[in-house]
Amino acid sequence: MAEILAGLSAVLAWQVLGFLAIGVCLGAVFGALPGLTATMGVALLTPLTFWVSPEQGLAMLLGIYCGTIPSGGIPAILINVPGTPASIAASWDGYALTRKGQAGLALGINALASTTGQLTSIAFLAFLAFPIASFALRFGPAEYFGLTLLGVSLMAGVSGGHVLKGVLSGTLGLALALVGLDPMTAYPRYTFGMSEFLDGISFVPVMIGLFGLGEVLVQISDRQAARASAAAAIGRVLPRIADAKRMARATFSGAAVGTMVGAIPAAGGDIGAVIAWEQARRTSSDGDSFGKGSLSGLAASCSACNAAIGGGMTTMLTLGIPGDAVSAILIGALLIHGIQPGPLLFANNQAFVFSIVFPMIFASLLIMVIGILGAKPLAKVLSIPAPWLWAGIIVFGTVGAYALNNAVTDVWAMYVAGIAGFLFRKTQIPLGPLVLGLILGPLMESNLRRALILSRGDWSAMLTRPILLVFLTATLLSLLWPLIRARRGAAKRSQGRIPDA
Amino acid sequence: MVSRVMASLAEGHLNVPIVCEYKPGASGALAFSFVARRPSDGYTIGHAPVEIAIVRSLGYADIGPSDVSLICLVSKTAPALVVHPDSPWQSFEDFIAAAKAEAGNIVMANSGIGSIWHFNILLLEQGTGARFTHLPYGGSAPALVSVIGRHSDAAVAAVGEVISHVRAGSLRALAVFDAGRAGVMAEVPTTHELGYPIGAPAWSGFYGPAGMPAERVAMLADAFEAAFGTAEWADFCRELGMEAHYLGKEDFAAFALEQQRFFESRIPQLVRLEIP
Repeated sequence: MAEILAGLSAVLAWQVLGFLAIGVCLGAVFGALPGLTATMGVALLTPLTFWVSPEQGLAMLLGIYCGTIPSGGIPAILINVPGTPASIAASWDGYALTRKGQAGLALGINALASTTGQLTSIAFLAFLAFPIASFALRFGPAEYFGLTLLGVSLMAGVSGGHVLKGVLSGTLGLALALVGLDPMTAYPRYTFGMSEFLDGISFVPVMIGLFGLGEVLVQISDRQAARASAAAAIGRVLPRIADAKRMARATFSGAAVGTMVGAIPAAGGDIGAVIAWEQARRTSSDGDSFGKGSLSGLAASCSACNAAIGGGMTTMLTLGIPGDAVSAILIGALLIHGIQPGPLLFANNQAFVFSIVFPMIFASLLIMVIGILGAKPLAKVLSIPAPWLWAGIIVFGTVGAYALNNAVTDVWAMYVAGIAGFLFRKTQIPLGPLVLGLILGPLMESNLRRALILSRGDWSAMLTRPILLVFLTATLLSLLWPLIRARRGAAKRSQGRIPDA
Repeated sequence: MVSRVMASLAEGHLNVPIVCEYKPGASGALAFSFVARRPSDGYTIGHAPVEIAIVRSLGYADIGPSDVSLICLVSKTAPALVVHPDSPWQSFEDFIAAAKAEAGNIVMANSGIGSIWHFNILLLEQGTGARFTHLPYGGSAPALVSVIGRHSDAAVAAVGEVISHVRAGSLRALAVFDAGRAGVMAEVPTTHELGYPIGAPAWSGFYGPAGMPAERVAMLADAFEAAFGTAEWADFCRELGMEAHYLGKEDFAAFALEQQRFFESRIPQLVRLEIP
């Protein structure tokens, strides 16, 4: 108890709260601009924290982290360009809501579900840190392969009805993921002798191009349609109580999935949100509305990508292992402030745990307030005349793609991806699977190959691993589920109990 | 991180702000090529890790220490061999004996084929006759995690990368690949003491485009030397388990060229060892 109070009182100093607020606001800006990621925000601002006390520096960095991910959902919802990779899943339902004139509600749900996700994961961090961390440590190559296989199998789910086209797009994503140094032998693949390709295709510029530039090109080509929908209504911001109740289950199960996935090193909010979205879709009575503006779908993905923050922090603090790229930088920042994350710190210094937990709680509440109050002004973006908005997206997309690695190659990648995104949309090939393939491909390939090195090339030996079996079963179910449901639906309809919807 | 801290410490001496830009990619090859193409006025310089002496041998970019103006070297860090604390190997000798007894039975995680720590594993195999099953990861952190989670048996990474886990008791260090013991892990024996003079440390320094005027090089070297002498730099190196180590322009150039020759002579033969 004394530790909790000490942690709380350390945060309540006005300087600490001030730096926390600065961090949250900076994070919100970084998150909302595509191309500027949470990783970059924390990395760029870490040196700034050398000149303040450890509490203030830590509060600012945690503020940035907690502020970036929720605000990454804002451009995903408003203009279909995810602000950070974690908000890809949020764009599926969020942008659909915007097109229905419910941008305000989508932003409100983003704010509420994000904070719910963060707070849930912080509770896990405060009370269940060690069990979660030991679960995360059981993830060897075979388990990672299972997780990513499950992720890739969701391709069909995110294809919005065009399953075959979805598989085509996903396979293309997996193929693009092969570019670069072979992860096992370091032999260059598909690089055409250019050293720019050695590290593979950068994911963020491709994401900006596919979603941002691609969308702009589509809108330009359907000029009439765009003008008709330009008078987009904002609508209410806070959901009705009945809606909130209906979203609660998706939000909390999303938070649990996000925390677990976030705790696993190298798997972060982007993967967590996709898995949570698919899980919510499959368990929902209204699964067909997912991807077409489902409130539960948006809530699940927003909650999960934010819960990954607490999950990642759990692994970092208990094991001294980074859960994602941001916590890797945070470890460096803590070291410089003389704090050594790891089991010793966590077991011996309970007060320190709360000095992390409380700033995160405050940051999380602050970003919710910002998100709700900012929803109406932010949604005004939609009333900007379309040509101006298009120009803005192209400028920000170009700058964002360059800023990521300071490389012009990435800008070209963004433009090529933009044209591809345009063609895909015109031919109704879904983009979600391509992005899934590109994110999951490298993890899936390298871990399958690692698992085979460990089992001396024996595929059957992998089947003795319980966690992997769970994933394989889930993968099989997710592939067979549409068939099962179709059959069940047909059976029910033939009994005449459900009217044809 | 090294360059940012060094830059903030050297700024005071130069009276100009130093802007740090990250240019990741291809083991640093992209950054080396970028800096080498900039005007040689001393206003664009780069931070050179050991990879500047390696990338040519790996075929990533046709650039090496002799193609740039080396300024100074500021830090050095030795590799360490670690195993899980519950593993049966209490000492380096136990470990090598086990690796020789059953070739390939011990799974050795590395931080990526072609990385400096992977070379150290290959040097270890060559120097002791041990044979491992190599499990490549994308960086030291995941390689160490796989040892902590007992998915692999051992790993080689920088002293600074393993020290926190060794202190926390989640890894056991068996040897440091260096001539002298590491300050932060003085209790761990070195390979040289144990009779195997192997080891290739990672180091880092600063460089600019070829043909930089000598007085500019000297000015920058002075600024970095002053920054090197500060208590902050000593603290920073200690925290990260690096050895603060200064070499001026000539010494750095001689050292870097010798390193390049070392990697050029060893890499082809080591790579053959890797892929039969």
